[in-house]
Formats: sequence, structure tokens, C-alpha cells
Amino acid sequence: MIFPLIHVPALGDGMTIALNAVLHVLISHGVAIGMTILIVIFQNLGATGRGGFWEETARTLLKPVVIVTTSVGAVTGVGIWFITGILAPEGIGSLIHLFFWPWFIEWWAFTTEVVLLLIYYFLWDRLAQRRPRLLMALGWAYVAVALSSAVLISGILGFMLTPDGWPQGGTFSQAYFNPTFVPQFMLRISAGIVLGALLVLGWTAWRFKGAAHERGRVLRLTGLVMLAAMGSTALFAWIYFSRIPMTYLTHWKFSVATSAWSQVPNLLPALNTVAVACLALAAVAGLLKRRRTSMLLFLPALLLAVGMVAEFERVREFVRGPYLLPGYMYANQTRMVRQQAAMAQGRPLAPSMNWVNAATDNAPEAQLGRALFDANCGVCHTIGGINDITVRLQGRTLESVNALTSITESMVPFMTPFNGSEQERLIMSAYLYSLANKDTLPRPQLQGEVK
Amino acid sequence: MAPWQDLFLALPLPEIWLRILLFVTFGLHLLFVLLMLGTAMLGFIYFLNDCCSGSRVEMGWNQRVVKSHLGLKSLAVVLGVGPLLIIQVIYSLGFFTATGLQAFTWLSVIPLLILAFLAIELFEHKMLSRPWLAFVSGALGLGALLTVPAIFTGALSLMERPGEWSGFAAKALAPGSVYRPHWLFRYLHVLGAAIVFGAAFHLFFTAGQDSEKRARLRAWLFGSVLFQVAVGVPLLFTVADVFNWPVLSAVTLGSAAAMAVAWTLRPAPVMTLSDGTIQGGRALLLLLPVIFVSMLAARQFLQDSTLMPLHRQARTALARESADLARFQQPALDAFRVKLATVYDNGPTLYEKSCQPCHGAGGLGDGPAARRLLVRAEDIAAVRADRDYVRQVLLAGWPGSGMPYFTVFDKDKIDALLDQLDASFTLFGPTTVPRREVGQQARDLWKNTCATCHGATGQPSPFGLTLRPAPPDLSRFSLQPERSLQIITEGYPGTVMQPYRDLPEETRRDLVAISSNLRR
Repeated sequence: MIFPLIHVPALGDGMTIALNAVLHVLISHGVAIGMTILIVIFQNLGATGRGGFWEETARTLLKPVVIVTTSVGAVTGVGIWFITGILAPEGIGSLIHLFFWPWFIEWWAFTTEVVLLLIYYFLWDRLAQRRPRLLMALGWAYVAVALSSAVLISGILGFMLTPDGWPQGGTFSQAYFNPTFVPQFMLRISAGIVLGALLVLGWTAWRFKGAAHERGRVLRLTGLVMLAAMGSTALFAWIYFSRIPMTYLTHWKFSVATSAWSQVPNLLPALNTVAVACLALAAVAGLLKRRRTSMLLFLPALLLAVGMVAEFERVREFVRGPYLLPGYMYANQTRMVRQQAAMAQGRPLAPSMNWVNAATDNAPEAQLGRALFDANCGVCHTIGGINDITVRLQGRTLESVNALTSITESMVPFMTPFNGSEQERLIMSAYLYSLANKDTLPRPQLQGEVK
Repeated sequence: MAPWQDLFLALPLPEIWLRILLFVTFGLHLLFVLLMLGTAMLGFIYFLNDCCSGSRVEMGWNQRVVKSHLGLKSLAVVLGVGPLLIIQVIYSLGFFTATGLQAFTWLSVIPLLILAFLAIELFEHKMLSRPWLAFVSGALGLGALLTVPAIFTGALSLMERPGEWSGFAAKALAPGSVYRPHWLFRYLHVLGAAIVFGAAFHLFFTAGQDSEKRARLRAWLFGSVLFQVAVGVPLLFTVADVFNWPVLSAVTLGSAAAMAVAWTLRPAPVMTLSDGTIQGGRALLLLLPVIFVSMLAARQFLQDSTLMPLHRQARTALARESADLARFQQPALDAFRVKLATVYDNGPTLYEKSCQPCHGAGGLGDGPAARRLLVRAEDIAAVRADRDYVRQVLLAGWPGSGMPYFTVFDKDKIDALLDQLDASFTLFGPTTVPRREVGQQARDLWKNTCATCHGATGQPSPFGLTLRPAPPDLSRFSLQPERSLQIITEGYPGTVMQPYRDLPEETRRDLVAISSNLRR
């Protein structure tokens, strides 16, 4: 069953997924979990007589939270399904068959979460005065469901990096209750609270309308929550990363820095240290009720936090290297058994491809070459965009391209092996060589520089 | 065969249960989609109306109508996940094919919905304070919102027509094709249904006791029911080829209920009951769900009649392929185990995996992949070079040869690899310089012939640098004398370095000495 193969030109598949996914994670973790937990805490403080400003603050924050969560957060969440359905139908299709029930139950949690958030928002004015305790209960019910939704999804996300015994045993519980299941959801929840607290901190420092001492109290509590969540994030990040197979983990620097920066290995640890320090300083400034310092630190801390979220997701997606479902399917949606068969018996790929774009003016061999490139390499490489294959192969001779496509998996640990017959591999190599050598003229190089 | 041999063959529930579940979940999703669309459309129409009449009181009510959009759209989106999940399981072939063929249109749903939702929020927020901004954002939001059902109906219509897939892929839809009229009528039918259910929703939940509002909503409800009948008839013709009894029964029941609704809502005489109940309200509450369920059932029956046989066929083919591939499962698992145990952060592994295929275990350039190369992989064991120079070669590769670049490894890994190369092959050791007096003939030969490419000092000449592959920089790179002699005598196949075997051996040995002395 081979579906139409689509790759996003210029931007590439990975970047397309990342843009949507990072936006979704920022909102689902930072706003839907983190900010809302603080809003519920504030409402509780107000309802239990610690000052009306707590409730007013919570009410002011709730509206943007509801709008952003139900518009951008929910749509980007569903968007991940749309994007992966287009770019990796075999991959997401396989995952859905394996994890149908967690996803189905998570859907109910997601629905309940949205319903509770809407009730919380629409009934706030009516309940805040008359039945504040009911409002408190509603808030905590929302938080409980939102957290359970994060828990439910973590089993699936963890599986894609640490399938543990699943490839051998094949049972659902092996797949779902994998070694990174618990640390990952704890990490996501903690990091979500850090992000949410940071957003509340920034808002309080910049936009709080009440008296100075009231703002100071909001700042102090938010800073405290942020600091505690940072501690927990660090702990669970450590546990999480200690459970990822070493063979994957060693690629993390390249995964973030890419070829461009991978020769500066201390850059990323240094940047991460700066980011953590900036977040910690922002939290401490809040704790000490330093409004101006919080104001100043908010924007850089937010940008660095967004960077760290993107970095985490990028590392998580990238380091599993050649696999989409480890032990079962390669990143290019080739099942490992299919590839083994191709290798052992020289099985061609083309006859099983239902959809080859024939609407080009390419010669038949080039059309096939392009189709084989799309099927084998297109998930990571573009032609003319991000991770451009023509740049990667520039300067290589035809027979060296041939040699390289035969050893991809061994040569670069995160590359997939070629799936198809030997003849198809040569056709693809010739196509790629001709692409990489379009309009190239020999020209002198600078003295001493090795190109 | 293990159950997960091919995950596409694993079903979470028997097929029939999945279809029932799809019916229920899709119904829930569609209901809120219709309410959301209807609310947005009616809200904008009323806004335009009220703007023209300049009534702020009316506008306040209108704002209440649009306010409900927030909740309705949230539920519409979230309830869409369930049916999406089930469709991907039971109609995988049709769904992934149809959406794949319309990939970029399908993906545009994401930005369109975000734009629509945020713009409609702004529309509601600014309705009373800044009507011009409300107008702009309302028009933009509604435009984006109404594009989305066009995309959905387009994808679903294509999904249900496997016969059109290849034509669609070739972008050669025949003008006589039934796809486009079907799509158009289906889209209009969705918009009509949105007004029907949106108007009914606000009639019961927003209009309150206001008889004028009720009359307006009833008029919209009445008109849109008639519109549905008008659009429904040609829509039926477009699916006539796959019509069957269940579909016919459902459509008949739905149409009869629609007629009854139209009768209940007939315009004259307009009157409001004194106790505040809605005229014909009970009948509407009974009939509207009947219409909704019967139309949904007709849709599902139509879809199943085409897609289920196709899907079963695909599953059978898949099961056959999986049985065929079963014997490769153990080798695949073994390969996976080896891969997991291979950690690419140490010199020996890096050399073995990345260099050995060409350079061979002994570094002699005789690895299995090297047989494919015209320019022979270098005999590393014979190389003596500066560390920085080799690093440069590793990072940039050697254009014109088979040597690829290795920036895929970060600096620490490159360092580990360099250490390994030195440990195995004394790569960074001193050059072995033959002790001999070099004759004038060889000096002249170097100056007049070799330096053309290699440069007088060993740094490639400007001409040499135009070559692919370019000669190495002999001021930083050398070869052991025997290897040098071999290259001078036999040339370097695949490059412009030709054999000089006609030169006397003494001269060739002199040239070896000259080249060895160049490394600084």
C-alpha cells in the first residue's frame, strides 16, 4: 500500500512539521497547562480570601488563554495529523493502528478539556461571586484533564525514541509503557509550567493594573512556581535523556547545530547554560518582586525558552536517526522487512509505487530517478531548499555518487539505506549526479583552500 | 505471523463497530461544524444589516450571536479528531490517497482555520466599538472559514471516487467529469445545512423572547430548508451511479422530514404564542435531528459502498505481501539490534562505519565500496599529513573524487576519528624522506613538469586547483616513498596524474625525494 508521496519544496518536510509542532507545543504546554494552572491557583487564592486582585488577575489572563488555546493551539494540534498524513501516511497510519486506543481516549480527554475550559470561562462571572468553590473545582477538574491528556500522548511520543522490547515482543504494553513514558510527561508538564509562569511573569511585570504591593505578590508567587518547575524540569530532563539509547544521543549536537555549526561543539552547551541562567534569573527576579528586572528579562527569557522547546523537539525527532518507528520502519517510510527483502533479492521499488508524478517533462529515467529520490531521500533532503541534495553532492563524480548511495546507512548513522533494486539505485544516482552538476563550470579555487 | 508484522493489518475493533463509531463521531463533529459555520454566516449577515440600519441595540444582540462562535468552533475542531482517527484506520487507502493528491490544498486548512478563528474573535470584539475593523476582520474570517468546507468536501468527494484519482493526479480532469458538479452541490449543501442548523440553534438559544429576532431566524430557517431541497436534487443526480436501497431510504426519510419542517415554518400566518414558546418548536426539535441523521446515514452508506470493497481489496493485497516478507523479519530485527549497539562517538566505530567501506580495514584503499570508484580511494596507511589538513579534507571532502564531506559529525567526533587514524596508520607522523642526492635532471623535471599542477613549493598551482580532483597540497600532505614511486610510475587512475614509467628509475626516485621534502 503506497500512497502519493508528497514533499514540501524548499522548506522540507522536517521544517514544515517543526513549525507547526513547536507552535503547538508552546501553546499546549505553556498556555493550556502552565498558564492555566497559575490562573486556577490565583482564582483559588482570591476565592479563599487572599485578596480580590488574585481573581481579577486570573480573569484578565483567562480570556487570551481561551482564545489562543482554542484557536491556534487546537488547530495546530489537529494540524500535526494533517501534515503527517500528507508527508508520512505510512508512518502515521502505522502509529494509528498501533496506538488507536490511547489516541481515542486522549481525544475524549481533549474534548473534556475544551468543554471544561469553556465552562470555566463562560460561567466565571456568574460563579466567581456566588459559588467560588464550584469555580475552584471546575478549574482543578480542567487541570486534571489537561494533565491526563499530556500523559496519554506521552506513551506514543516516547515509543518513537525508546521502543524497548516492542520490536521483538510486539505487544501493545511494551510499546506504550516504554522507558521514557514517565520521564517524558513529567518533563513536558514541568516545562509547560515554567513556560506558563514565565508568560504570567512577563504580563504581571508589564501590564498589571493594580497596586504595587499586589503586583509584588503576584510576581513573588509566579517566580516561586517557576523556580520550582525549573528544578523539576531539570530532574526529569536528566532522567529522560539518561534513558535514550546512547547510539541516538550522540547525535544531539549535530541535530541542533546542523553541518553549519557542528564543528563548534561547545556552542550549544554554552547557549543552553545562558538560556537556563536567564530563565532562573527571571524567576528569582519575580520571587524578589523586582518588577523592572522581570520586565527586562522577560523577552530574552521567552525567546530562549522558545529556542529550548524547539531544540528539545528537534533533538527528539532527529536523534532516532534512520527510524520512524524503531525496529519496524525507516524514516522514509520503508518497512525494515521490505528493505531486507530488497537487499537480499534485489527487489525493485518502482512496481509497488502507485503514484509517480508523470506530469513533468523529464525523460522516463529521470522521472523514475526523481520518484526513487522522493521515496528514499525526500523525507530529509530537498532539491533546492533546506538540506539541498544538489549542494550535498556537489563536486562528487558519478561513480562516487553511486558508491555513496550504496553505503548511506553505514556512512552517516542517521541516513536510511536505499530501498530498491541495484539498477534503480544506479538510476537514482545518475539522476542526482545530473542535478548536482547542472551548469557547473570548472573554475580556479583560492590558493590553499580545499574545496 | 506476529500481529504487528504489518501494522496496517491490525484493527482496533471489528470493521462494523468502527463504521458505527465513525457515524457517531462524525455526526458530532459535523453538527458543531454546521452550528459554527451557520453562526459565522448569520452573524456577518446580521452585522451588515444592522450596520446599514445603524442600530446599536440590534448590534448588541448580534454580538451575542457571534459570541457563541468561540465555543462552537472549539468543539467543532476538537470533535473532528475522533472521526479523523477512525477514517485513517478504515478508509486509509482512500483517505491518504485523496488528501495526498490534494496535499497543499489540504494543508492550507491549518493557516486558514487559525486566520478564520482569530479574525472572527476580532470581529466580535470590535463590533460595537470599531465597525470598520469588525467589517474587515469579519469578511476576512468568514472568507477563510468558508474556504475550509470547500477543501473538505473536495477531498471527501475525491476520496469517494477512486476512478478519478489517476486523472486528478495527472491534473487532467475531463470537463464531463461528475466530480466538479458533485463538489459544487455538496459544498452548497453544507452551507445550506449550516444556515438551517445555525438558525435553529439561535432560534432556541439566543433569540430569547424577542419575536422580531425569532421571525428573522425562522425566515432564514425556512429559506435554507427550501435551498437544501433545491441543491439536494441535483446533488443526488451526481451520485446516481452508486445509489442503493439504504441510501434511497435515508434520503427519502430526510426529504420527508425537510418537507415537514418547511410546512411547519411556512411564512403565513406569522404569530408568536403568548407563553414564550416557539411556534412549531417541538416539531422542529423532532424533525431537525431526523433530517440530520438521515442525511448523515445516506452519506455514510454512499461512502461505504465505494470505499469498503476497495479497502478490503487493499487489505488482502497487504496481507499477501506481509506473508511474503515474514521471513525477512528476523534479519531486520538483527540489523536493528546491531544498529542500537553501535555508538558513533568513538574512533574505531567511526572509521569502521564511515571510512572502511572505501579505505578498507587496513587503510589500503581496498574497501568493498571502493571497487565502484574510478579515482581510487587513497591508501591511508601510506599517508603522512598535518592534522589540520586532514581535518579540512574530512570536513570538505575531495571534489572530483569519491571522498564525501563529513560535517555530519561534530568536532568531537572528528577529533576522535583523527586520533584513530593516527593510532592505526601513524597518519600524523613525520614524512619518511629518502636519503639521496637529487640530480639536476629531476629538479628541472619538477620545475618544468610537476610544478605545473603541484606548484614549485608543493602548494597546488592556480592551474592545479582547477582540476577535479585537484592535487593534494604537498606542503602539508605526503606519501610514503614506495607509494609515491608507485604513483609517479603508474599515475593515479581517474586523475590527470599520468604514468611516468618511461623516466629512468633514478629520476623517479629523485622526484620521490623532492616531493617528500616539500612537507614543512
